[in-house]
Amino acid sequence: MNTEELTALTVDKSVDARGTSCPGPLLAAKKAIGQIEKGQVMEVLSADEGTRRDIPKWCTKKGYEYLGTLEEAGFYKIFLKK
Amino acid sequence: MANKKLTLALFSGSVDKLTAAGVILGGAAAEDMDVDIFVLLQAAFAFKKENAMVNDRVSEITDKKDEFLASLKRLNTPHWTEAFRTAKEMTNVKIHICGFAGKVWHGEKPDDFIDLADDICGIGEYMTSAEEADINLFI
Repeated sequence: MNTEELTALTVDKSVDARGTSCPGPLLAAKKAIGQIEKGQVMEVLSADEGTRRDIPKWCTKKGYEYLGTLEEAGFYKIFLKK
Repeated sequence: MANKKLTLALFSGSVDKLTAAGVILGGAAAEDMDVDIFVLLQAAFAFKKENAMVNDRVSEITDKKDEFLASLKRLNTPHWTEAFRTAKEMTNVKIHICGFAGKVWHGEKPDDFIDLADDICGIGEYMTSAEEADINLFI
């Protein structure tokens, strides 16, 4: 998805993991994914550089759809669909 | 499909390496891996009830120990015991204390160690588990 599409997404679940370092954001995503239904969208907020690479790989392994990442001031918004 | 399996031969009793082990366990937990941890020699010291929370030894770059420990706090890094506990809550993690290691540090029963420890076992159990593992690590 491009920036406009990501910005326009309706997010069903937002996980703010900006206060944690690796593997905190990944574990926060893992915990939260169980709280949404298949087809719903989750965003993970992370200030950890590694997370922007980890989440797409994790999505591939777990069968979720990685939608893209927006770079904000000092953190990333990483979007995925269950 | 069966979960992938990680075995970890955990020798180190120092917080730098235990913290690294906790990070790896987090990755394993995120991927729902089954994990068998074998607590060997110096790690058994760190798992003793009276040592786990007060042990602040580091094994690498020891001249920067204070900076290292301060950075862990600054980064809100959970204590290694909490990282291990989180992994146990999120996936199938079993922690086995090596019987020999336990005796070295005067611990002969699981109750001599922090509650993360599941049991005390021999090396044969580790060999069997490691043979079946997708990833085997020594820390």
